[in-house]
Amino acid sequence: MRRRASAAGAMGVPGGLSRRDFLKMSGAGLAGASLLGLAGCGEQSSQGGGEGWKQYSGMTLNFISENTAPTSAIAANLKPFKDLTGIDVKINQLELGALVQKVSLDVSSGDPSIHVIYADPYQVLAPFSAAFADLNDFEGDDSLPSVKKGFGDFIPTQLAAAGRFEDEEALYALPYDCPTMVWMYRKDLFEKYGDKMSQDLGFDPMPSDKITWDQYYEIANWFNKNASEVEYGSGHQSKQYDSLMCDFSNIMWSYGGDYFENGEQVGKIGTEDPGASLLDQDGAVEAATFYQKLVGISHPGSTSWDWTALDEAFRAGNIAMAPNWHEFAAGIEDSNLGGKVGYTRLPGGPTRSASMWGGTGLGINGELNEDEQRAAWLFLVWATSPETQLSGLKSNVGGGTPTRQSVYEQPEVKNATKPPTDLPNMLTYDAVSEAWKPENIGLRPKIEKWNECNTVIFTELSKMLAGDKGPEQAMRAAKEGFDRANGA
Amino acid sequence: MSTANPGGGKGGARRLVPSFEARMLLPALLLLAAISLFPFFYIIYMSFNEVSLIGGVDFEWVGLENWVEMFTDPNVRNSWITSGVYFIATVGLEMVLGIGIALLVHELVWGKNLVLSMLLLPMFVAPVIVGLLGRFLVDSTYGLYAWFLESTGLITWEILGSKTSALMAVILMDVWEWTPLITLIVLAGLSSMPQTVLEAAKVDGANYFQRLRHMVAPLISGVVVVALLIRSMDAIRYYDIISVTTNGGPADATKVIPIRLYETAFRFQELGYAAAIGLGMLAFSILVANLFMRILRGQERAR
Repeated sequence: MRRRASAAGAMGVPGGLSRRDFLKMSGAGLAGASLLGLAGCGEQSSQGGGEGWKQYSGMTLNFISENTAPTSAIAANLKPFKDLTGIDVKINQLELGALVQKVSLDVSSGDPSIHVIYADPYQVLAPFSAAFADLNDFEGDDSLPSVKKGFGDFIPTQLAAAGRFEDEEALYALPYDCPTMVWMYRKDLFEKYGDKMSQDLGFDPMPSDKITWDQYYEIANWFNKNASEVEYGSGHQSKQYDSLMCDFSNIMWSYGGDYFENGEQVGKIGTEDPGASLLDQDGAVEAATFYQKLVGISHPGSTSWDWTALDEAFRAGNIAMAPNWHEFAAGIEDSNLGGKVGYTRLPGGPTRSASMWGGTGLGINGELNEDEQRAAWLFLVWATSPETQLSGLKSNVGGGTPTRQSVYEQPEVKNATKPPTDLPNMLTYDAVSEAWKPENIGLRPKIEKWNECNTVIFTELSKMLAGDKGPEQAMRAAKEGFDRANGA
Repeated sequence: MSTANPGGGKGGARRLVPSFEARMLLPALLLLAAISLFPFFYIIYMSFNEVSLIGGVDFEWVGLENWVEMFTDPNVRNSWITSGVYFIATVGLEMVLGIGIALLVHELVWGKNLVLSMLLLPMFVAPVIVGLLGRFLVDSTYGLYAWFLESTGLITWEILGSKTSALMAVILMDVWEWTPLITLIVLAGLSSMPQTVLEAAKVDGANYFQRLRHMVAPLISGVVVVALLIRSMDAIRYYDIISVTTNGGPADATKVIPIRLYETAFRFQELGYAAAIGLGMLAFSILVANLFMRILRGQERAR
């Protein structure tokens, strides 16, 4: 049975009088507010609308997160939150698989201890959506600070993909990070060999969304044969892992394939009943055939690389180009390759150019008591505020990329999209801003059984890459695995 | 529990009064029951249910469904085969190398303690660290072993990216870590051998290999079986190194049954099915342990 937590809706301060009402009624409150404004309310108002930041002072929140750059940036910058609220935050950063395990045990324990959850939409939110609190209840509560600029400030596709499940109204998470796959390439090598490559291949090889996957293959092969600076032209994150599904999905969508009927809606809002899988259809099989061919000429390390290992290989100068997560740009620009790398949208296929979005939201454990949920909301409002996102973008521990439109409109952020820049992730902005448009974004299915389906697809693809199965056979087996998992 | 018969003699009134020893053991037995028997029966019950976690644990009775699935699931069968290959390779290699090294160390006249201390070092490293270290060493971007093997032309492909070499790599990581344990156990057996008998055989003209075959081997066979038993129990539930290196890939080549169990329980949230797989592992462990215990008892009787 699905159970929804609606803690905040019925909440208020003792006596049924909200703090806001109390201040409205009290002249002393007005005077006090003026004095507080001098002392620190400027900071409060910059984080979100409304008062009530200090009402849970002394409490400790547990925040569980994947070990990602945005959380590292938050962890390095928790003092402003402590000063603002008096709340301590303990951050536990884990590998995503371990996080899924911890969350599943916590929500079933009957004595939950995790307050703020890094809610991966596919591996955490979809299977455990019933355990998350609906954030609309907190946003509508006058006794709590509200989200600055409202939910509408978040990039719409990301708000839906990261925060909703099945229901267009309920919101379970606020967009927190937004890694998106882009084409990273060695600008210096393309400049050096561009003319020769153009002559040999018969087209302009300069990376852009006009290049097709077939042309990408030809460019990679050209590098294999002609460039001594790199070992191979292309590299991929094709380890039997989540990364393999991500890498392949870009190509499948561009070939017109999809996981399910109405894939856009299944990716954006999600469903408990996705129906039969389409993985045995022509588009998916053609994409698998191409992917096998592409990985076959790519760096042999590809079949053991996840996204981290691929990024390390790229930074080490072993490959000339790769489909990679845009948030890695900060590390790349900080390495020996700084200034030598270009970023653009992924190549296109017969249908479109699609870029896998791998963003995540922050949610509140709905199994907690009311006060704990309300305190967790304070952290959500602060951690996803424009100020904190900008601070994360500037962070020297890697940082993330904002999920709010207003941050990207700030002059210092806009100016950072061209080199030289102090905000290296912004060098990818032209590519990702296009990729986030509804017609370009690649959203994997948000379904309860995604963890099982994900394992099925990356295992079958791995078997195909190992030569155990042909593309058609692998896709047929994947479809059967999907249908079995979903009871279709 | 034993009972006392205070009346004594035939026809005396029998009372169910625990003996003094039984009463002393009772707290420990109750504790043991709480921490092992209760979870054991709970897992058996789980294996007949579909278990939901959200909002507290919830059971739905499904009868033998999980058990039927376990015996018919080709993925589980493949994982058992991989586990079997892994089990035979690791335990076999560790026994051969461990006994060989122990025999060599036993013959050392000086520096024995220093050599032994160095040999034992891998055993003190947590398995997950061994996995991380192994992954680091065979990584094609910065791994020392990968660089050496490629430079010498011995292995020119990606070690963890190919099915056979990935399985070999995780087997060798386990062998590196646990061979010292076999060495240590066998050395203990060698040290406890009656030296006078061996010296008498030497005086009688028996060469090293004759002494090894006809005297040393029978004398240490008991400890060898114990070592085999300990390592076998560990090898069946081998998880850490694979989890941090290949996570079961490529193409399921290293997906041993504990990895499959973890995946079923904590990724797919199918706790009932995972309980059935876990009980299957337990049954296999008991079978192997019984086999070795029977061998051990047979040896004792033969003496």
